[in-house]
Amino acid sequence: MFNKRLNFWYLSSIFVSLFVAIPILTVFSSFFSSTSDYMIVLKATFLKDYVINSALILIGVLFFTFIFGVLSAYFVSFYNFWGVSFFKWALILSFAVPAYIYAYSLTAFFENYGSLFSLLTAVFGEGNYNKSIPKFDGMFGAIISMSFSLFGYVYVLTRASFYHQSNNLIEVSKNLGLSAKESFFKIILPSARPAIVAGLSLVAMECLSDFGTVSFFNVSTLTTGIYNSWLAFDDLNTANQLSFFLLIIILSLLLIENYSRGGAKYHHNSNTGFRKIPKIDLKGKKSLFAIIFCSIIFFLSFIFPLSQMIYWTVKFPKYIQDTNIIALNFNTLLLVILASSILITLAFLINFGNRISKSKILDNLSVFSISGYAIPGIILAVAFISFFSWLSDVLTNTFNFMSIKQIFIGSIFGLVAAYFIRFYSLAFNGIKSSYLKINQSIDDSSYLLGYSKFKTFRKIHFPNLRNSIYLISILITIEIIKELPITLILRPFNFETFATKAYGYASQDLLEAAALPALFLIFWSALLIFFTSKHILSEK
Amino acid sequence: MSINFLEINNATFVASKKNKVLDFNLTIKNEGEIICLLGPSGIGKTTILRSIAGLQKIPKGKIFLKGKTLSSESIHIEPEKRNVALSFQDNSLFPHYTILDNINFGAKRNKIATYNFNIEELIKVLHLEGLEEKYPHQISAGEAQRVSLARSLMSKPDLLLLDEPFSNVDESLKVELQQNIKKILKEKKITTIIVTHDSYEAFYMADYCGILLSQTMKQFDTPYNIYHYPNSIEVVNFLNRGILVDAKVLDDNSVEHKCLGVIKGNFVKKYKKGTAVKLLVQPEDLEHDDKSNLKLEIIDRKFRGTNFIYTLKTKNKDLIPVFVHSHHIHQHEVEEKFGVKTPIYIDHLVCF
Repeated sequence: MFNKRLNFWYLSSIFVSLFVAIPILTVFSSFFSSTSDYMIVLKATFLKDYVINSALILIGVLFFTFIFGVLSAYFVSFYNFWGVSFFKWALILSFAVPAYIYAYSLTAFFENYGSLFSLLTAVFGEGNYNKSIPKFDGMFGAIISMSFSLFGYVYVLTRASFYHQSNNLIEVSKNLGLSAKESFFKIILPSARPAIVAGLSLVAMECLSDFGTVSFFNVSTLTTGIYNSWLAFDDLNTANQLSFFLLIIILSLLLIENYSRGGAKYHHNSNTGFRKIPKIDLKGKKSLFAIIFCSIIFFLSFIFPLSQMIYWTVKFPKYIQDTNIIALNFNTLLLVILASSILITLAFLINFGNRISKSKILDNLSVFSISGYAIPGIILAVAFISFFSWLSDVLTNTFNFMSIKQIFIGSIFGLVAAYFIRFYSLAFNGIKSSYLKINQSIDDSSYLLGYSKFKTFRKIHFPNLRNSIYLISILITIEIIKELPITLILRPFNFETFATKAYGYASQDLLEAAALPALFLIFWSALLIFFTSKHILSEK
Repeated sequence: MSINFLEINNATFVASKKNKVLDFNLTIKNEGEIICLLGPSGIGKTTILRSIAGLQKIPKGKIFLKGKTLSSESIHIEPEKRNVALSFQDNSLFPHYTILDNINFGAKRNKIATYNFNIEELIKVLHLEGLEEKYPHQISAGEAQRVSLARSLMSKPDLLLLDEPFSNVDESLKVELQQNIKKILKEKKITTIIVTHDSYEAFYMADYCGILLSQTMKQFDTPYNIYHYPNSIEVVNFLNRGILVDAKVLDDNSVEHKCLGVIKGNFVKKYKKGTAVKLLVQPEDLEHDDKSNLKLEIIDRKFRGTNFIYTLKTKNKDLIPVFVHSHHIHQHEVEEKFGVKTPIYIDHLVCF
């Protein structure tokens, strides 16, 4: 029985699950190892600050993303006003601007002699404006940057929930005597609550994982603590123990998100009997308010950082020559092609194995293999290094094996492997959910009509999954383009992507040089988001 | 000795932990026979079909097709190698192919089949004209079922399995389709097993019917015999075409009921004089007669188009159904008295 079970599908599933679980296992095992001196010092001094700062940023970002996300979703879902169909998808362009890039724009605009200063000088003539220009830096800057960059999660999930609510529900509530306002508060909003909570949990996860923004604004949080323990104090153990704290918080958020999403499924049971809610035409002041609100959010979340980056790229053309933009494009493309082809091939293989072997064990096993997405990039990278250093030492000491550090640390191979861990759940779940849409009896029919498993894959599965493969590749591409901490830590020497180049310039206080790579980053991401907007808005 | 076309010996079929079919035996002697399996939902009828098709393994027993072992405890021929077609109850059409491509999907499979189909004719017979270039999501559930059936037929299977083939088909089309399909199956001599819960459908389509109740095959016989000679109380209750009343055996060809009096007929099974039995009374057994002295109270009347079914209450509270032609001159209302012709004669006396 055991031999029979231990076939190719089981082995590959176990291997992938274990590989993806490396960071989590490393971090959790560090919990049991001895505490270093640095950790003792840290506990006495900064640890409290790290926690308080992380918490304050989290509260601020949740507050703003809630307001921005829910209100904009409410306007575009229930009302007709000028530009509503534009705003509907334009608001998701904010996904193209990572928080750290937003932070650069914010600083660039408001700093002394920055863009706002130039603007005021151009309009009102020379003057001492620096004093009266507000400064968005430190913690407040981080909160603003993250809020505009992350509110999209709340917007997208809340809007999808509003969109998928059936008008039948509202008509029934009206029929039972509730006014329009009562229907909204008693039916529409409560049934969107799981979606809002799910959106906010994602925001919270991203916010706590953020490294680029807080490090730029010099705010000490748990993520910068992890980075410093590793880089400045060369103390991987402490880094892992800090990761453990953070991971516990994030995993509980993940549980909340999962739980809420479970509830979010109950919007409508089937397509039959589902009717879209008719939109109300807004007129006069109300219409103006909706237009202004959506415009401001769109402008601040996307146009503002974009135009700031364009402005600087044009203003400081010398950096165009300094930055080898072709190499950056090529490097990003290389990573995208390698990572997404490996991700999709393996995700496909494992899903196909699970499907044809119809094994519950494999299904359960695959749950473990999707943990990567919840782990902040910085933790993943540090844990990845710890694990392979440890493994290499073990292999060298016990088996006299050659060192494998160079293979995994500071190499393209290692970087792609880390991306694999990080984005495997995206690929696996994407393919799985499309696979679930293919009824099992369709496979059965194909077998019954004489087609082998492989032929069924070729003639039935692949054509049906082709679209979701494109989609998943695009989503992975967007993520890889924006990814900063993993690339920063694991890349080969002198290997740059848009993200690391922008970060590198910004941390040398050369914000104007960071504009060009940042601009390319926004451009490519926005373009890809545009292509997938229908899916992101879950109208498909 | 000639081999049976299909033979299932002592097989166990497992649908779920609770639902199993045990010690299942079925023999189809000749090619071209149509078998219907009848039973309530969830009993495991679909599982039997899936197991014969090879989509599920059987933990116990053997399945032979044309003398070749398809399934046993140690052997399991893969579904793609069995040449057994199963048409599913739910939609199992390939969503990325047109209806025509779907129907043709398995057409190349059987190169040595003794029969063949003209696809245009098949489309016409199954009323699928005009749908050829459409995609599965553009057609109705009933149409999808017919496409699935056409696809199964086109693969020219040795054995055709149909799971509730008419469950989604409109009533108006059902009768014609049943006729057309039966004609095709008989002409081409396609051995078929149909699973259904509709006894009329089973009685019309089948050469033999199998009744599945409480984990086992209760009765396997011709439709006529199943109806008129049910072999157990469970089968009577399942078919729901009559009731069982308490009676006493009088002699070799009559029983006595407290209220209906002496009932004459031929016993299906012999009983000793004086035995207390349960007698099956079916709607067509009693005849209406206004002049009769035996009057029973009407408690319900169902209009069925060609006939009425009156439910009559006897003094000892048995509720007896009686058919009356709907062109009968006068109708009786509920609570009126209804005359039953005496003496009562029931051709075959089924007692338990």
